[in-house]
Formats: sequence, structure tokens, C-alpha cells
Amino acid sequence: MNAKRRVAITGIGLVTPVGNDVSTTWDALLAGRSGGAEISLFDASGFPVHIAAEVKDFQDGDFVDRKQRKFANRSHRFALAAAEQAFRDAGLKPTADTATRWGCAVGAGMMTSDFGDLATTYAHSGADGELHADRLLSDPAANDPMVFCRSQATAGLSLLTRRYDIRGYATSVHTACASGGQALGTAMKLIRRGAVDYALAGGFDSMISPIGISGFCLLSALSPDNATPQRASRPFDATRNGFLLGEGAGFLVLEEWTAARRRGARIYAELAGDGNSLSSYRITDSPPDGDGPIQAMRAAIKDAGALPSDIDYLNAHGTSTGMNDRSETAATHAVFGDDVMRVNVSSTKSTMGHLIAAAGAVEVAVCALAIHRGEMPINANLVERDVDCNLNFVTGSPRRQRVRVAMSNSFGFGGSNSCVVVRHPAEVDGASNEGAEIRR
Amino acid sequence: MTNASSVVVTGTGAVCGAGMTPDAILDAITAGHSAIRPIAQWDTTGWPCRVAAEIPDFNPRALVDDRKLHKLIRRTDLVGLYAAGRAIDGSGIVGHRDALSADDAAVYSDRTGVYVGSGGGNYENQYDYFPLFAAAGGELPAFGRELANTVNPMWLLRTLPNNVLGHIGIKHGLKGSNACITNHSVGGTLAVIEACEALRNGEADRAVAVGHETPIEPQMVLYYHRLGLLATEVLRPFDARHDGSLFGEGAGALVLDTAASAAARNAPALGEILGGGYACEAQGLAAIRDDGDGLARAIVQALDGAHLAPADIGMIVAHANGTPQSDLSEAAAIRRVFGASIPPVTGFKWAIGHTIAAAGILEAALALTALARGIVPGIANLEELDPACAELPVSARAQTPRSKVALILGRGFAGTDAALVVRGA
Repeated sequence: MNAKRRVAITGIGLVTPVGNDVSTTWDALLAGRSGGAEISLFDASGFPVHIAAEVKDFQDGDFVDRKQRKFANRSHRFALAAAEQAFRDAGLKPTADTATRWGCAVGAGMMTSDFGDLATTYAHSGADGELHADRLLSDPAANDPMVFCRSQATAGLSLLTRRYDIRGYATSVHTACASGGQALGTAMKLIRRGAVDYALAGGFDSMISPIGISGFCLLSALSPDNATPQRASRPFDATRNGFLLGEGAGFLVLEEWTAARRRGARIYAELAGDGNSLSSYRITDSPPDGDGPIQAMRAAIKDAGALPSDIDYLNAHGTSTGMNDRSETAATHAVFGDDVMRVNVSSTKSTMGHLIAAAGAVEVAVCALAIHRGEMPINANLVERDVDCNLNFVTGSPRRQRVRVAMSNSFGFGGSNSCVVVRHPAEVDGASNEGAEIRR
Repeated sequence: MTNASSVVVTGTGAVCGAGMTPDAILDAITAGHSAIRPIAQWDTTGWPCRVAAEIPDFNPRALVDDRKLHKLIRRTDLVGLYAAGRAIDGSGIVGHRDALSADDAAVYSDRTGVYVGSGGGNYENQYDYFPLFAAAGGELPAFGRELANTVNPMWLLRTLPNNVLGHIGIKHGLKGSNACITNHSVGGTLAVIEACEALRNGEADRAVAVGHETPIEPQMVLYYHRLGLLATEVLRPFDARHDGSLFGEGAGALVLDTAASAAARNAPALGEILGGGYACEAQGLAAIRDDGDGLARAIVQALDGAHLAPADIGMIVAHANGTPQSDLSEAAAIRRVFGASIPPVTGFKWAIGHTIAAAGILEAALALTALARGIVPGIANLEELDPACAELPVSARAQTPRSKVALILGRGFAGTDAALVVRGA
């Protein structure tokens, strides 16, 4: 019954470390122009890692309602901007008639207070390294409802649903680096099962703050290559030594397929399949044999009614950590078998860095664009391939070919694995639906 | 949920200020005992709100036996893992799997999902940086240099909103489809709804659903007070003197199976999930509509999904959070759907506080227990019904459900409303 309803991607919006819109981001991804640089958002000179891939020259005036601005932190402003881009791109927004038929699913970051608000609370209510709860009663940050609103897990969701009057199923999810992918999968299923006909779906995050950087530094997860920020993220390279922290947002406008066709919408791709699994191995480690990611990849392909042989492009999770890239390679070999060297693979984290809760959403958008434009962005900075990472990487220059089906991998701390499959619209319209039914 | 195929409940778990099992909690509620007491976690002298439903004598070891794990997780994760563990133990899924052949057991684990409603981050977790603020003397470069000497290297892991999800998977070896829903007070309900959808959609054969939150911390209490959401002393839903909500901490968990999965291990059904509905009012973070529009739409969806008419509902477990605005708009939504024939209505928050992300699923576990006993527990502190809620059949005394089916309502920040329909055993 669900199989009868397909989901079309009709709008895309991106705010990334390599561009504040889709076309600028895309050009940078094709060229492999890294967004890595010395951190400018705060004085990071004393931190073990003081490089990151920041969103640059971000002007939110075009996108963010002035009244909403005080309820929005940096990541929420990225979300509002990317969502507005996606709606304009789709040429469709909720109306009084359709509001209850619109859903919203977002992957939101894990940070609570902004650093500045936490510092205010320490200055007022902390002493000798401890909170003095009695002082909170007169603490300006602890009594400011705006500070509270910005720090809530549903802050971004509430800004988006209010701004666009989205009155159907609206949800916020968080599975660390898998959040964005799981949000898109959730939205796809809402349309499939008829809970809504349209959805705004995506992810947003910004952890480039003293606390965010600290959290990853303490886990030794970041590349310490402070002198060469543009080379710091080099997934699958033998010399890789950690990820480059990015920030940003990616949003898609999704519509039930036949409705999108009826209104003559430009369809980038079908959002065709979603697969999730738990590695249940260790909280931060990837299983060396790919167990966990394998099941998610297979489930996503099956859910799309596709076969591994249909996949032309894999946007890898590819964090540039030793463990992930080996584990992901093992999983990719297990899923594609003898066919594995046919599949074009790149990790666009090589260019954008790791957008954490936004990563999955941005990278599914990259897959949709690869299908729409018939070109695949490169895995930048891959000079000396790790012998344990033998895949058909897109390096040097982008590959231009028709992409029938593409897949995005996202694997999070906590062991959640999210894989999302997108399909060329001509493969949908050309294929007999009955054939797809049988495979499913 | 539009598919009628059956999802059965085979295990339940719950913990909150009133007890450590659904039965014990319901015993306290039916005895008219409220777990709302003076807050013990910090000195509340001079605070505008000084009460909440804390878990008494909070003992991490009693909740999670593995002491090594305590360093990696927060208080909220302890209660979530406890409730999930009780539900899993009760359901027998792990014992059944471990008796299978290695290959079959691997498939069984891959076909078992985990769906969590989590409160997300909290404020106290951030105070772990206060020693570093002190050491740095206000200088960011020094903050960076002293970092490794001052902050627990596992800090970020303790922060993860999806810890309960990940650690349920690791402890019990479950590896199927999953979600961690950080959607305020409807997170627990959505965990149930999404787990059911995964079962009906064939993504999994069984799933653990859990909701957990421990919101009783100073900064949270202060913010909710400033927003006008907290009562001064007593949470009195639908009462003429209702003046706000009060926090509780806790978790609820359900193990859900397809009928075939439950039958394969002869697991008795404790109930069935019949339908769920969900809507958003899009009014901003803390605002809700006076007419209850979102909640009414969620209830209608849930009934439609369950193929039931309003007359089939035997009792309503209302959100009943005690804020006048929520109580009145909730009454409006119930009137809109049920007209003149409203089944007995109750709520549990007067006794266990508002457990936020845990509320929907914890209250669903209690609703199943109440249906099994054939009672609608009273709201014991109800004295005089708010005239604006006059038609609601709420009572300080126990009532009798008019069928085995309960409707559980939940409402959260961002104007979200959720409804769940369950049938008791």
C-alpha cells in the first residue's frame, strides 16, 4: 500500500562551509575547494585543534524574520535560510488550504546553551568551578525566556513550523551524525503512508564553539592538522587523522510524486529508500567488519525497490577517521560484492567537513544534485589511498555520467546508521510500477 | 496509522517518583498519593517553585547495574535504560533469541528495532565546564589550554541525546531500525507511533519503545516558572484553582511485537496499540491555540487509524498538565471530537508530575495497567471543576471504563499534539 505513493524532491536549500546556496556549494564540491580554515568565530588559539570549516559571510537578512531572530541561534538561522531557499526553489509553500497536509522532520544538533549564555551564567552564578543555584534567581541568562527558547531541542522545529505554518506531523530527531539522514527518511515515510502530502525535511547544526570543539578534542576525533586546514579532511587517505568540524544546514521540499507531476514541478530525484540499523558495537567506534552499516545499506536499497547493481554513486559517510573509513569500506564491499568497483564513491566531507546533525541531509541533497546534473563531486585530498580502503573513488576531477540511483551513508555516535537512496526521475517514469512493486 | 494489522504489547516498564513498576505507580495513584514533594536535589529556599516528583533516594545502581556505564551517561539515561530493561525482561525477547541458532539469532537482532523519545540536552551537563571557566579566568586561549586537564574526556558522550538508544542496542544486542525523537513532551508517544509503523511496514518484527526525561534541575525550573508554566504548590488539572504544571522525572517503555512475533514465543499480550495521530499547531515554542485544534485533529487521526468511533473509547488519559491554557484547550478538543458522549476522563500528572519526553509512553503503560484492572483512576486532588471544563467526566474518585480501549493524549512545545489508542488485555 505504501509502495503506491512515491516521494519527489522538488526543492533544495543549502548553507554550507563552501557556499551559502546550492550553486556556490556545488561548484566548490566539484572543484574540491575545502572550507577548512583557522577558526574565526572565537579565539581558538589555545585549543588543541583551532581549525574548522565555518559557514562564511552568512547574511541572514534575506531569510530570517526579524521577530524570529532573537529566538534563533546560529544553527537555527542556517536552518531558516536553507528552508527558505528550498521553498523558493520548489515554488511551493504551505497555504491555508494545505497547511495540515504539510509535515516537517528535522535533524537538530545536540548543543543546549550558546557559549555566550553559558559564560554569562558562570560569571553570575558560578564560582570556584561550581554552580551556586541560589544565584540563578538573579542571573540574567537564567531568567531570559529567549535564552531558554534558543536552547530547546525543538527550537528549530518551532521556528520552521511557525514561519511556514506547517500543521501536520512535525518532528525533531537526533542520532548524532545520522540525524539528517534519519529526518529525511522519517519525512519520506510520512508521505508514503499518507500522514502528509508534502514535507519540509532536513538538518542543521553548529558545534564550532568553545564547548563543541572541546567535546570533540577531548575524544581526539578531530584532525590536529592546524597548519593545513584545507588538507585536514582527507577521507580514505592513508594519512587521514580525524575529521574537520563543519556547520550548516540542508533542507529539501518533498512532495507526493503524482501531485508534483500534476503541478509540473521540476523533480530533482525520487527520495526512494531509507534504511536504518544499530551497530550495537561501541558508542563511538565503528565495527571493523562493517556489521551494522551493511544492514542499513541493504535495507535502504531494498526499500527503494532497487538492486545494488542499480547504484551508480555512493556519497560515503567518509569522516576521515581511521576507523570509520575502514569500516565503511568493508561494508561497501559486503553490499556490492564483485560489483563494488563499478560504484563511484566520494566523501564530500573532504570539502565541507563534517556537518554533524546536518551532514546526512546535506549529503542526500548532494546525491539528488548528482542525479539532476549528471555529475559526481570529488573526494578531495585523496593522495595516497589507504590500502584497506579499496573503492572506486572520484578523485581529481568530477565524473560526468548519468546517475540512475545514488545512496548517502551516515553513521552516528551511538551506533545509529542511516542510509538514504535517491533515484533519477526518468527511472521512475520510465519503469513500470508493477516491476518496482515486485522487487519491493 | 492506517493499517489494521495488529501490534501487541508484550512488555512494559516504568519508573517515576511514585514507583519502579507500572503496578506500583498505579497503586500509588489509585490510593490518592501524589509523589510531588519538596525538591531534594538542591536547596530551594527562596525559589518560586519548590516541589516536583523526584525519584526518591535516587540510586544509580538500582537503575543500571553496570557501574562502568555510569560515567558515560546522565541521570536521564539511567531511568530510560532501567525502564527499557524491565520491559525487555518482561517480554522475553532476549531469552527467546538466545535460544535460537546463531544465524537465526542474528536475524532476530536485525529485526528488532529501538525507538526512543529523549529530552535531548540539559543544563547541568554544561556545568561540567565550570571548573574550566574557573581555571581559564575568562580567557579563551587559557580555556583551550586547560581543557584536557579539567574536563572529563567522555563529556561529549554523556551529552549525546541518543544514549539510551545506543546503550539499549549494546546491552541487549538489538540492531534493527531505530529513531531517537527529541520532540519535547510528545517524544515518548511518537516513539510508540513510529515503532508501530515500522512493524506494520515490515521494517522490524518487534521493537522496544521508550521515553525518558529528568527535567528537575534549577535552570529548567526557573525557565518554566518565567514562562508562567509552573504551579506554585499543587498540580490540579481541570480544577478551578489550576495554576500550572509541576515537573516529574521518569521513564516508560513498551515492547511491541507483530502478532506473529509474539506468537512465536507464546508471549502473552498485555494489550494492543490500535492507532496514533499527530498534528502541529505552528504557534511557536510555548504557545498553543485556545480551541485545541491540533489536539482534536490528532485524536481524529488516531481514531481513524484504529477504525474506531468516538463511542468505542472507554477512557481518556488526558494530558492534564494543570496549566489553565492547556487544560481548557484540551477540554475544547475533547468536546469537539466526543460531543455529548465523553468517556471517563483522567490524568496522571497530578500524582507523578510532568515527565516531559517520558509522559506519553509512561502514561500509556499506566493506562494498560488501569484497563487490566478495569478502573479509571481518579484525580484525587480535584476539588471543584473549572466551569470551563464543566462537561468533562473527571472525578476525584475512580470511575469504570466504558470499554477496554483507552485514548492517551500528549502535548508538547512547538505546538505539537499526539494521541494514542490502546486496547487493554
